[in-house]
Amino acid sequence: MARGTEPIIQIRNVHKRFHTLRGTVHALRGVSLDVMPGEVVVIVGPSGSGKSTLLRCINRLETIDSGSIVVDGIPLKGARNINKVRAEVGMVFQSFNLFPDRTALGNIVLAQRVVRKRKKAEAIAKAHDLLAKVGIPEKADAYPGQLSGGQQQRVAIARALAMDPKIMLFDEPTSALDPEMIKEVLDVMLALAKEGMTMVVVSHEMGFARAAADRAVFMDGGMIIEEGTPDVLFSNPSHERTKLFLSKIL
Amino acid sequence: MDERARTESIRSLPQGDPEEEQQPPGLYERLIAWLAGLPWWAIILGVVAVAVLYSMLTSEAYRRVIQALTDNPQTSTEDLFEVVQVVGEPTMIVGAYVGETQDSVTTVVDILLDKVIDRKEVTHTGFILAEDPASLTIRTESGLFTIPKDRLVEEKREPAPGGERITLTYVDRVTVSGILTKRTDKTYTVRTVNEVAETFDKARILSRTVIPCEQVTAANCVEGEYVTIERQGEIISGTLNTLSNTNISLILEDGSQREMRRSDVDRFDVPTLTVAVNARSANVPVVPGGEVRIAFVQGTDIMEALEELDSLEDVPVPLRYAEGQARVALVGYPTLDEALTATGAGEVNGLLYLDDGPERLAVQSWVEEHPDAGVVLPTPPRECQKGCQVSVKLKDDAITGRVAEETDDTIRIVTTEAEYLEIDRAKVLENRRMEPGVCALNNLRGCNAGIFLTLRVTFQAYALALLLGLIFGLMRVQTNPVLYAFSTLYVEVVRGIPLLVILLYAGFVVSPELRDNVGISLNDEQEAVIGLAFGYGAFIAEIFRAGIQSISRGQMEAARSLGMSYPQAMRYVVLPQAVRVVLPPLGNDFIAMLKDSALISVLALPDLLQLGRLYVSRTFRAFEGYNTVAILYLLMTLFLSMLVRIIERRTRLPH
Ligand SMILES: Nc1ncnc2c1ncn2[C@@H]1O[C@H](COP(=O)(O)OP(=O)(O)OP(=O)(O)O)[C@@H](O)[C@H]1O
Ligand SMILES: [Mg+2]
Repeated sequence: MARGTEPIIQIRNVHKRFHTLRGTVHALRGVSLDVMPGEVVVIVGPSGSGKSTLLRCINRLETIDSGSIVVDGIPLKGARNINKVRAEVGMVFQSFNLFPDRTALGNIVLAQRVVRKRKKAEAIAKAHDLLAKVGIPEKADAYPGQLSGGQQQRVAIARALAMDPKIMLFDEPTSALDPEMIKEVLDVMLALAKEGMTMVVVSHEMGFARAAADRAVFMDGGMIIEEGTPDVLFSNPSHERTKLFLSKIL
Repeated sequence: MDERARTESIRSLPQGDPEEEQQPPGLYERLIAWLAGLPWWAIILGVVAVAVLYSMLTSEAYRRVIQALTDNPQTSTEDLFEVVQVVGEPTMIVGAYVGETQDSVTTVVDILLDKVIDRKEVTHTGFILAEDPASLTIRTESGLFTIPKDRLVEEKREPAPGGERITLTYVDRVTVSGILTKRTDKTYTVRTVNEVAETFDKARILSRTVIPCEQVTAANCVEGEYVTIERQGEIISGTLNTLSNTNISLILEDGSQREMRRSDVDRFDVPTLTVAVNARSANVPVVPGGEVRIAFVQGTDIMEALEELDSLEDVPVPLRYAEGQARVALVGYPTLDEALTATGAGEVNGLLYLDDGPERLAVQSWVEEHPDAGVVLPTPPRECQKGCQVSVKLKDDAITGRVAEETDDTIRIVTTEAEYLEIDRAKVLENRRMEPGVCALNNLRGCNAGIFLTLRVTFQAYALALLLGLIFGLMRVQTNPVLYAFSTLYVEVVRGIPLLVILLYAGFVVSPELRDNVGISLNDEQEAVIGLAFGYGAFIAEIFRAGIQSISRGQMEAARSLGMSYPQAMRYVVLPQAVRVVLPPLGNDFIAMLKDSALISVLALPDLLQLGRLYVSRTFRAFEGYNTVAILYLLMTLFLSMLVRIIERRTRLPH
């Protein structure tokens, strides 16, 4: 990578509060994290610890209250053209969020045409390539309602990849899937990691983390408690809270 | 299984009153069960079949109502004639007469078509290549032409180096424009306006006017000078159709109708009875004890003639006497000629002549031809109001037309009259759209009333309401407090006011305000469209809001995370899905609006209901009138709900 020494994501002391009718939730309490180009970071942590919120802040689906986030050299606060940043950051959701009124192909083509302004033939060719890459070339004309969960999630990954993002964010991509489908999605992600894609993954799949991740991060109560290589963090955590959490999920 | 077994066992138990229990379900219940089991389209077909059957049974009444409701095309321009009507002081309007009341005349100022039949003639010069009885083939500089001989207009041959040069003029094409009045498989009948040019002495000009274009509302108005000129009179006979202080209309023998101004009529008779008297005795009353001699033509019904005479209001003097005062002698003559000669000679005091056949004007003609015979016609024959045979003699008629050419002492004016052309459809090269004018199924643009108005207003209002609803619906899901508050205000206020009140506002508050302050004047139809759209926009906005909010937030987030802007995400991701959700409620609102469009009659618009009401008040046939209105609405709404179902099914996503 050209800027191998410069972090592609710089998160500095980020605070985020949600104001609801029932009161204020302090979801992120001073989070700082750097992600290098080509690095794969896995985030684990108990429910409600702010993992999703952190991911959503990275492509500004949520705004932050204080601190700073710089993505690919562009500070997100006050970024004039947030859509440009978003196009560089692909996101995969737990609930797939495919567009139900478009075919798999249509899902992948739409943003290429609207955002990247690609020619129709070019966008369709790219969509076919990506469907082949995620292993379902025969499902191009199927509607999301006609696909299994694993197939839907793979279409969603292909849809994000179609924008040629520099960074991919995954928010529990496999937790809505049946066990036999988890593997097909993880295989696609693994292949992506091998290609050198920068990835931030919220997931409790230890196998995947060990195989693909350069670094694992443990979050709790809106803070990063501990980080290290997956092997060290999972087998030999230094924090009590980490130990407690890992004992619950393993 | 268990359930059925139990009922079975209960049934087989001995009952106290077996007859009651074992009676099959009543006819009524069975009918209801059967109906409930039918598919929806069968129910629609059934309703339509019943409606059709019923209307066939009462077809005459229905034919008339439907004709009235769909703006009967027969009452448009067919019976019109040109009138010159003085309106107020110096304004004069020339146009087609439509109808009149006690104190006003309606005139359509519309010169239908100026130029009608346009022949395009082409001239070619060249050498003959081939000639047969039907056509000529010539070679010219620009190529070969084969010309059918029956289209030749002129042909000139002259010797030239290299053969005989020929110059041909032929009709290339004939353009006919007019109103399509009839269409069969093979022909079109087109009503055109034929221009007739006549040359007159300038001394006969009665008046001259220049009609400026702004006075004339017709689209094809040509500014021009019009003159009115006297013309030779004519005699027309027919059955009296209407008679008013200003107009007479006759139905002629061929079934056509002719209208004329009373002021143009020189003599207007009901010539069933003609009374002629001797000129010398015309003012001499009958003395008591005297004798009255009355001539008649042998073979005519003198008794009926005397009866007619009795009912005359003003019996001519020599025939006027009190019963028993004078002796009456009836003298028969073999021919009218002799009878009239005898009357002139004083052999009889008067003549009674009764004829309602072609001879009914014979006495008048004879008197005109023999001015010195000493016979006068003191009492104009009695007039009738309707249905009797009449002859009308126009006094020197006045014609009005466009000045075509003018010299020092003559003037050539062009008038127009209708002409019907039958055109072979196979020969039609090009068929252009017709001008609005006559309401007919092949020209709906001219249909301004009844079901057409209802449909047109509904469609326009619904399109506008959709636009309003979309805009306000999108505003309702915004976080911007100004947009949200404004749209909420609109929705809540408009939803809380009856549609009728909104329509009245549109017609009597907003429209006059706009006219006085902004200078935009809306016609009644536009007011109705705006009122309906404004009222329904609120409901449609709520439908759109609910539809957009029913799409999960994840869709918007997925679209935004791909780099789409908010409008792009709305346009390409959220709205297409929301539209599927809202189609059924939108369809229901369309049907509701079609029905609510009946309210627009408060703006004096002749919609379906209004025409039905007019029919009922004219004929007192409330049952037929409102039935027809109801069935027409029902048919339209049934058709629409069928359409909504089909659209719904078509847009359903595959699973
Ligand atoms: N839109 C929101 N409005 C209010 N509170 C929110 C909102 N989104 C998240 N929160 C709160 O913020 C906190 C962090 O939520 P977040 O979704 O980031 O947790 P998480 O680590 O992703 O949990 P999980 O593993 O269950 O997905 C939680 O307490 C949650 O209730
Ligand atoms: Mg989460």
